[in-house]
Amino acid sequence: MKGLKRFVSVLAVLVVFSCDGEAQFRFPMPEFESDYRQPEMYTPPPGRTNDLMDVAVLAGALGVGAWLVLKRRSRPGVFLLTVFSLIYFGFWRQGCVCPIGSMQNVAEGILDANVVVPMAIVAFFLLPLLFALFFGRVFCAGVCPLGALQELVAVRPVALPQAADRVLGLIPYLYLGVTVLSVSTGAGFLICRYDPFVGFFRQGASFNLLMAGGILLLLGLYIGRPYCRYLCPYGVLLGWMSRFAKWHARITPTECIQCRLCEDACPYGAINTPAPEEAPISPREGTRRLGKTLFLAPVIVALGALTGMMAHDVLARLHPTIQLAERVAAEERGYFSDVTLESEAFRASRTTLAELYAAAHAVRADFKRKSPWLGAFLGLVVAWKLVALSIKRKRVDYEVDRVACVSCARCFPYCPVEDEDAKTQKHKA
Amino acid sequence: MPKPKNIKREFVPHQAAGRVAMGVATVAGVFSLIVCVLLVTNYLQVRATAPLDNPELLQLRKTLAETPGMDEALVKHIRALDLLSRKAFFTSQAYLRMGGRLLLAGAAVFLVAFRLAARWNPKPPAPQAGPDEGAYWSTIARSKELVSGIAVILVLVSLTAAYLTPSGLPSPAQVSMLSQERGSEAPPSAASVAADFPTWEEMQRQWPSFRGPGGIGVAHYTTAPTQWDADTGTGIRWKVEVPSPGFNSPVVWDDRLFISGATEHVREVYCYDTDTGALLWRQALPPFPGTPEPPPQVSEDTGYAAPTMALHGEYAFVIFGTGDLACFDFDGSLVWGRNIGVPDNHYGHSSSLIALEDKLFVQFDDKRAPRLLALDAATGAEVWVATRKDISWASPACVRTPFGFELILASERDVDAYAPDTGTLLWTQPGLDGEVAPSPTFSGNTVFVANEYAMATAVRLSAPDNAVKSEIAWQWEDSLPEVASPTSSDEYFYIATSMGEVVCLDVERGEMVWTYEFDQGFYSSPIRVGERVYVTDTEGTTHIFGTGPAFELIGAPQLSEPVFATPAYLDGRIYVRTQQHLVCLEENGGN
Repeated sequence: MKGLKRFVSVLAVLVVFSCDGEAQFRFPMPEFESDYRQPEMYTPPPGRTNDLMDVAVLAGALGVGAWLVLKRRSRPGVFLLTVFSLIYFGFWRQGCVCPIGSMQNVAEGILDANVVVPMAIVAFFLLPLLFALFFGRVFCAGVCPLGALQELVAVRPVALPQAADRVLGLIPYLYLGVTVLSVSTGAGFLICRYDPFVGFFRQGASFNLLMAGGILLLLGLYIGRPYCRYLCPYGVLLGWMSRFAKWHARITPTECIQCRLCEDACPYGAINTPAPEEAPISPREGTRRLGKTLFLAPVIVALGALTGMMAHDVLARLHPTIQLAERVAAEERGYFSDVTLESEAFRASRTTLAELYAAAHAVRADFKRKSPWLGAFLGLVVAWKLVALSIKRKRVDYEVDRVACVSCARCFPYCPVEDEDAKTQKHKA
Repeated sequence: MPKPKNIKREFVPHQAAGRVAMGVATVAGVFSLIVCVLLVTNYLQVRATAPLDNPELLQLRKTLAETPGMDEALVKHIRALDLLSRKAFFTSQAYLRMGGRLLLAGAAVFLVAFRLAARWNPKPPAPQAGPDEGAYWSTIARSKELVSGIAVILVLVSLTAAYLTPSGLPSPAQVSMLSQERGSEAPPSAASVAADFPTWEEMQRQWPSFRGPGGIGVAHYTTAPTQWDADTGTGIRWKVEVPSPGFNSPVVWDDRLFISGATEHVREVYCYDTDTGALLWRQALPPFPGTPEPPPQVSEDTGYAAPTMALHGEYAFVIFGTGDLACFDFDGSLVWGRNIGVPDNHYGHSSSLIALEDKLFVQFDDKRAPRLLALDAATGAEVWVATRKDISWASPACVRTPFGFELILASERDVDAYAPDTGTLLWTQPGLDGEVAPSPTFSGNTVFVANEYAMATAVRLSAPDNAVKSEIAWQWEDSLPEVASPTSSDEYFYIATSMGEVVCLDVERGEMVWTYEFDQGFYSSPIRVGERVYVTDTEGTTHIFGTGPAFELIGAPQLSEPVFATPAYLDGRIYVRTQQHLVCLEENGGN
């Protein structure tokens, strides 16, 4: 068992370091012995970017998206908006700044009083949420470049079984929690570090990330928007807002006629079917089970907190200081005969081993304090999901799931119900 | 909010167009797949072959560094090869970029064609006849089960990961120790560098390491007693109990005797007065950064304290099976210490330490990265590291050949010689095999190694062109040792086997001069003391025989206790570590 532990430990260090694939093509400069002099290194000035214009384009695209989804009910229009957003926010702006990543800046600004978050980033974070609060997830529909890329490749999407969809839908909560933990402990911006699609926008990334992005896109041919549905942490926040949207996309423009033509229209599992009136258990039994679940909820949260605390060492490996310290410690113990660029740089620095280890211990202690909160959050999510599944719904029509629906307008053309304007025009004709 | 419109979709198939689009999508898809595979292959090839790590280039650079003056031809050759490597690298990069563009184009065509194919072969909605109420409730129930199940799995995975991948950081106590430690990272102070180390000649008069000075099994003094009796106490000057287990042998410097002992929980050094056997001090090693907790699994036959300590002037060096290496002064103060890595070595670490001039040598035979370390004896700072090909359980010998000092190490295949100053591999010869525990010995200009399941091999050294040259002089393949190391005189090599045989071989030709079979086997190594050879069997009987051309048994005094360690032979005294005691033997001791 000890051998296994050591193996897994070394493997963990290797895995953590193998994730940093960007460093592998660094190439030393040639050594000249002639009179040739290497040119001075300099940092070019930042490119001319206009944050205000980006915010304006974002607001405009969100407005157009809301109009296309809610007023025009136009799937082709949403598709065209998707193409525009992919070109502008994706390939032109190279995926930065994006609202998904901006949540890390905002979290950092909230957690660290010394960090000032630029207004443009705050706007990027808030605008999609505000629109979701009023119009649903129109940002996801055709403005998000990551969603746009996946929407374009979703050619033959099939719906996953609802139960599997619900379980996979827990992952974004985990990602959200780990992201906030990572920001609060100074481990860095994970969403940006592991953005699987930014490599396509910038035509360059580590091999691992390009492979991950490629696999997600291939998967996306048949499983629609895998990143949006099963990974995106910002989608969690948008879902929370969208639940309370004043005007949200509806499958039918007027009254549902229960034709069921839309039943398989949504490949994202965002159409709720009518709930049967009769449950297989009595109301009394249902209430008892709900009470039991509610009673268990604090236990689940506590168990999550405990698990988070126990796993703080694993989570701490997200932090570069821990990664470096563990690597250096492993090198000191002779587990590796070579060095990494990071450990080599450390050894060339004036920082001592004791200082490195002390800094790593400080980071570890920080993780130990904060990891239980991550566990508690996940416990709360699980408890909430179980409670939600234990409540009997009163739903008579086919309705969109306001949390899961990305307002892509795919279901609109399936509904045979015509709106009043169209009916009137037809009557006149 | 105005009432929304509804744009209907007509599910009208266009089969011919759909087939064409599907064909284009298939071709584009296959093309993209091929490009993708080629790109990944190219990437992996580039990644596996670091251009500037080209062995030929490295060798040329090394040659250039070692060549005095400027060899213009060599410099040109290196530059040409360097340029070639860079060209290969950047050509490969260009291929990657070109491939990326081709892939993008292929994927775009595939996507458009696939979308059109899907549009022209629409799948109209096909609702079921009536609502399936059972499916609704079963989905709810399954969702609850899955959510609960995934939560449990997440907890189990987290806890398992936490258990299997404990923090690799040294503990806070170890970090604190590291920051207080003398000379662990900071450059050695002038005072410590200026330490006065003993000369080779001074070392000969001590018993500073495993198997005596130089670790070749030959004693300087020739006055060791030949008679003692454990039952009557005759010839026993003192006898004390050993505090902790350990297979290491005693080492002696003037009036101080050192041994080490260890269990899973404690690693200690013991210092005795050689005249009285009084325990002057005992020091437990503190945990260093990297000290494994719990300690690694080792064989019972090895334990955690198999390596013998080394003494050097005023310093005592100790290493344990945990990889903890420390230096104490003779008053018991820790001078420096650190964990040099947990040796991955299936029986446990057993190679002893040896010192010469200002360096301490550590044969660190870790299976993953076997190496020979030279450390600054005063500070523990690394001076050089020589990578070894194979491991062994033997100990290094330090010999003065007619051509200079050499460190002789046995491995599972070869016997290797290194320069003590630089760690340069001077020569290597095959001849060993299996799991090698016996250490080398040396006579005149001949190195001798032997191991069971291999052959005994004599390597003759010469220096015809001022460069040390080695060649195998002869080999012997009959009775061979499993644990005990051979010893030598000017004319003969002596082998003691674990089956109880002692074999005397002629140094020049490797012919057997005589052999004698004792009742018990030998783990303790034979030592030549002047004209006599002493070898103690596993039951504690020391067989003493002459070094003449015929077997002549001089005596066989007993200690009546199992002995595995090799005794120390000083002026008129022998210090023996039995399994449980430390015994000082002297001609008139006990009377």
